[in-house]
Amino acid sequence: MKLNKKLIALAGAAALAAGMVAGPAAAQSVEEIQQRGTVNVGLLVDFPPFGILDQSGNPDGYDADVARLLAEDLGVELNLVPVTGPNRIPYLLSNQVDILVASLGITPERDEQVDFSQPYAGIEIFVFGDANLEVTGPEGLSGQNIAVARASTQDTAITEIAPSDANIQRFDDDASAVQALLSGQTPLMGASNVVIAQINTMAPDRFDTKFSLRQQSQGIAVRPGSDELLGYINEFLGRVKADGQLNALHEEWVGGPLPEFVAETE
Amino acid sequence: MFRSFGPNEALYIITAVQWTLLLSAIAFAGGAVGGMAIALARVSAIKTLRYAALSFIRVFQGTPLLMQLFLVYFGLSIMGVGINLWVAAAAALTLHASAYLGEIWRGCIEAVPAGQSEASYALGLKYGDRMRYVVLPQAAKISVAPTVGFLVQLIKATSLTSIIGFVELTRAGQIINNATFQPLTVFSLVAAVYFVLCWPLSMWARHLESRFAVATAR
Amino acid sequence: MGYQFNFAPVFNNFDQLLYGALITVQLSFGAILIGLLIAVPCAAAKTAGPAPLRWLVSLYIEVIRNTPFLIQIFFIYFSLPALGIRFDPNTAALVALAVNVGAYATEIVRAGIESINRGQIEAGKALGLKGHQIFRYIIIKPALRTIYPALTSQFIYLMLNSSVVSAISATDLAAAGNNIQSTTFAAFEVYLVITAMYLVLSLGFSGLFSAIGRKAFSYPLAR
Repeated sequence: MKLNKKLIALAGAAALAAGMVAGPAAAQSVEEIQQRGTVNVGLLVDFPPFGILDQSGNPDGYDADVARLLAEDLGVELNLVPVTGPNRIPYLLSNQVDILVASLGITPERDEQVDFSQPYAGIEIFVFGDANLEVTGPEGLSGQNIAVARASTQDTAITEIAPSDANIQRFDDDASAVQALLSGQTPLMGASNVVIAQINTMAPDRFDTKFSLRQQSQGIAVRPGSDELLGYINEFLGRVKADGQLNALHEEWVGGPLPEFVAETE
Repeated sequence: MFRSFGPNEALYIITAVQWTLLLSAIAFAGGAVGGMAIALARVSAIKTLRYAALSFIRVFQGTPLLMQLFLVYFGLSIMGVGINLWVAAAAALTLHASAYLGEIWRGCIEAVPAGQSEASYALGLKYGDRMRYVVLPQAAKISVAPTVGFLVQLIKATSLTSIIGFVELTRAGQIINNATFQPLTVFSLVAAVYFVLCWPLSMWARHLESRFAVATAR
Repeated sequence: MGYQFNFAPVFNNFDQLLYGALITVQLSFGAILIGLLIAVPCAAAKTAGPAPLRWLVSLYIEVIRNTPFLIQIFFIYFSLPALGIRFDPNTAALVALAVNVGAYATEIVRAGIESINRGQIEAGKALGLKGHQIFRYIIIKPALRTIYPALTSQFIYLMLNSSVVSAISATDLAAAGNNIQSTTFAAFEVYLVITAMYLVLSLGFSGLFSAIGRKAFSYPLAR
C-alpha cells in the first residue's frame, strides 16, 4: 500500500514537527508489557459502577480495580485510558490500548473483532420503563420509543426482537439514554440490572422491569493473535475468582456477589 | 452513585472551564500560525500555492468540525502515531482555526489598497519587507474585529471535543448531569459559563467593528 | 505497521448514509425557512420596535450567539421536558437549528435594513416610482442583495453544524455514520466517506444559493 506508507511518513513528520514523542502502544505479549513497565488499559468512565470518574476526575470503579489487580499481578504500572462505548473497540484495534477492561459484553459479533477472556463480570439486560405501561414481551414494543446506548448489547438485543414499528432511539452512551427515560422523552429503555438499580434509587416506583433480554457476560478483550497474553489473563482471572478477590471487588462496587453465571465459568 | 446537585458539582463544572480556555488558546495559537501561512499562500504570486490554500479552506470550511475531529482522532491512530485526546482535539481545532483565520486574514490583506503595495515595490522594497512593513501592519488593524469574532466561534467549537470524550466544560456538564440527573440546572449553568466567556468578546468585537466603521466612513 | 483500508462495510450500508443525508438536507432547509420566519420580524422589532421588545430580541440573539449549539440542543431535548415541553429527537433538532440560525439571521437582516440609504427612496419618488415599486426595487431587493452572501454562508454553516444532532439520537447523516461505525468498526473509513458527503452537500448548497442569487439579483448595478 503505497498511499499508506506516504500517510505514515506524513504522520511521522507531523508528529516530529509537533514535538511529540508518544510511541504506539502496541504491546501484544506479556513480555513486551513487562519490558515497557506499563500496561495501557481502556475502560469506560460513564458506566457506573463499573467505570466512573472519582471526585478528583480519575477513572475508578469495578473495572478500574480489576485493571489495578491485573497490573499488580503483571508487576507493571497501570495507565488507565478512558474510552467510550462506541469507540472502545476501535481504540483497542488501533493500538491505543493493550487491553480493554471496559464492561465489554461477550457477543459473537464482537468475538470476530477481538479476543475475549473468560467472564470477569456479568449483567442481565432488561427492557425497563414506565410503571404504568404494560409490556410483557417484544410485541409490546410496537409503536413505542425505546432509548438505548448506541452499539451496546441492549441495542443489539432490542434491534433483534423489536417489531418493525418500534422506534429505537440510539444515544451516544447509557447516561444519555437514562436521561431520555427520566426526562420522559422515551417511556422505555434497554438497561442492565446495574443501571436499573440506580434508576430505582433515584426515582422509586416510577419504573419497573418489563422483560429480560439477555444474561450478558463481560470479558476482558485483547487484539486477535495475542494468545499468550490472553492465556495469562485467563489464568489470572481463574486465580482471583478462586481466592475471592474478584468477588470482594464486586461486592464493594456493585453491592452483591458475582452473578453465578460469571463465577462458575472455568 | 447518584449525587444531588450541590456546590461541589457546580464547582466541578466551573473549574472545567480551564480546559476549555487552554484548548481554545492552543487552537488559537496554532490557528494563528497556520492561518497566516494560508492567508499569505492565498495572496501569493505562485499559482500552485494559491490553489493549495484555496482547497484547504474549501475542505475545512465545507465539512463539519465534528467529522474533522473524528477523522483526526481515528486517523492519527491508524497511521501508527500514538495519540491522546489533547493531541487529537488540539490538532483538529488548529486545522479548523487555520482555515477560518486564513480566509479572514486574506480578506484583510486584500482590503489594503493595492497602491500601497505598488508604491513600496516602486521604492524597491522586496516581498518580505513589503509585507512586513507596509501591507501586514495595515491589514492587522482591519483584522482585529473579525479575529475576535472568530475567537468566540472557536471557544464554542471546543464544546464538540466532548463528543470524542475530551473533558472540558461541556463534557464536565454531561458527567455531572449523568450523576445528578438535573438537566435543567446543569445545562443552564454550562450555558451561563460559556456566555460569560463569549459575551464580553462579542461585545468587544462589535465595539471594534463600529469604531472601524466610523474611522473608514466616507 | 500497515493498516488495511476497508471501505466495503461503508458502501454496503450506503443506503443508510443516503437516508441520513436526506434527513440532514430536510433539517437544514426546514431550519432555514423557520429561521427566516423568526429573523424578519425580530430584525424589524430590533430596528423599529419599542424598547422592551428590542431588549427581548437582543437577549435572544446574545444568548444564542454566545453559547455552543451542542449545549442549546441538550437544553432543548433534555432540559425542556422538565418544563413540560417535549419534542421527538428530529423535531428537537429542527427547533434547535431554527432557533440558532434565526438569531444569526436576525443580525444579518437588521444590517441589511440599516444599509438602505434614505436618499435612494427620495430618488425613487423623484423618478415617479409608485410605493410598491419603491418597496420592491429600492428597499427589499438591494437589502437582500447586500445580505445574501452573509446569509447563505450562515446557512451552509448551519448545515455543517447540524452534524451534532446525533447526540440526542436524531437520525441525520452523522448518526447514520455512527451506527455503521459501531457495527463495522471501520471508523476511519466511515467518517472519511461521510466527510466527503458533507463536502458534496456544502458545495451543492453553495451552488444552489449562487444560482438563486444570480436569478434573483440579476439587474445591472450602477457603477
